Amino acid sequence: MLRCIIVGYGFLGKRLAKLIASGAVRGIKLVGIASSKGYIYKEDGFLPGDLPDDLRSSSMLRLAPASELIDKRIADLLVELTPTNIRDGEPGLSHIRLALEQGMDVVTANKGPIALAYKELMGLAEEKGAMLLHEATVGGGIPLISLKNRCLVADELLSIKGILNGTTNYILSRMHFEGMSLDLALREAQMLGIAERDPTLDLEGVDTALKLVILANSLMNMSKRLSDVKIKGITGITSEAIAAAKESGMTIKLIGIADEDGLRVAPKLVRLNDPICVHGTLNAVSFNFRILGRLTIIGEGAGESTVSALINDIHEVVKTRMRSNRI
Amino acid sequence: MRVKLTLALSDRPGVLLKALEQIALNGGNIVSIIHRRDSITSGYVPVSINVEFPDSASLERAKKGIEASGIPVIEAETLEKAICTILLIGAVKIEDLLRRVHELGSRVAEVSMTGGLTSPCIKAVIEAPSEKLSTLLASLESFAEEQGALLITEW
Repeated sequence: MLRCIIVGYGFLGKRLAKLIASGAVRGIKLVGIASSKGYIYKEDGFLPGDLPDDLRSSSMLRLAPASELIDKRIADLLVELTPTNIRDGEPGLSHIRLALEQGMDVVTANKGPIALAYKELMGLAEEKGAMLLHEATVGGGIPLISLKNRCLVADELLSIKGILNGTTNYILSRMHFEGMSLDLALREAQMLGIAERDPTLDLEGVDTALKLVILANSLMNMSKRLSDVKIKGITGITSEAIAAAKESGMTIKLIGIADEDGLRVAPKLVRLNDPICVHGTLNAVSFNFRILGRLTIIGEGAGESTVSALINDIHEVVKTRMRSNRI
Repeated sequence: MRVKLTLALSDRPGVLLKALEQIALNGGNIVSIIHRRDSITSGYVPVSINVEFPDSASLERAKKGIEASGIPVIEAETLEKAICTILLIGAVKIEDLLRRVHELGSRVAEVSMTGGLTSPCIKAVIEAPSEKLSTLLASLESFAEEQGALLITEW
């Protein structure tokens, strides 16, 4: 049985820990959990009743950094779920490096390390014979990376265009349907927990740009950085502009585009009958393949659905290691 | 792509045939030929030929071939137009937008303004020769930046 540790014990970490401890993901047991408060571990595996709501309330808590847990070499797989840091990717980047250097497989939902150091981390994984899977970094539970890398490996991906940020899509949808101002729609999104208290990264298009960098590097074999993306956010969008678009059978959506002309994020006019024109917190991505042509995929891009991407990546690791008799 | 080629033919037998040969050699399909004999100038007859070319490269090769035969190509106008809607959010004068679009060989087919002075927004439907659309949009992007406005184009 594969042994796994979870680093980052927030919304995703808690849900995933419960699923693994209850045996919902076959072939794996949870032997350690770390957060910014410290870590707990149990080499024979946690059961659902062992899981604390807050690590600080556990009698097993060790007040030491997560790197100490990774360094104990009690696990085969690290699930890295610390919050995204777009400046230097830390602490997630160091956690992933440390795990890969030991030959541990890694599954992550953390955008920072994958956007900032994709080539380095994939190179390290290859060198150490480890797997690094990151479906959960983009589009929540929508299988974007595995769709291309497993189902459409032989076809060439020419472009990616999509709505990759649920918060801005919610705001623009409310402006479109209710005629709200951006400020009012933002306040509503914050009250509902859809937007963060500091929504800057979402509104200014940086979150979309990070996801675009990850998709371009992992699906189009590019070597892009965040600084390579031309970014325009939605802060200048007025209700008058949305109304003018609506009169022409269109609306405004924040779109990330990766193609032969490079990477860019900008508010765009989208026809209401275009398959990419989804509303609320939904994400939608249109791939253009050389042979297949256009393929659009829609789904929830954050929250609970991200757990689906995580367990599928974990399942992939378990399946691969079972085949190679490493467990 | 459909193109209107305007040539200046000397008023002698066989000259038109030379031009038509170059068009045919480069895959052009001739749709119509109009001799504008009423506009003869200094012994030259303007002739307008509507041609369907497979692509812009074949048009360029045909133009070079015609000119190498000693026939001046006065104009090669693309007859296919791209139509796109744009929004400009910010205090921009409509006449400045019209001028910029016109300078780039395109035209504004429809224009409207909403939001008054507090939150102005111009919506324009622009008609441009297909091959000039990306240049036009790039130029409008610079125009919006100069004006401190936000340009939104179709995706």
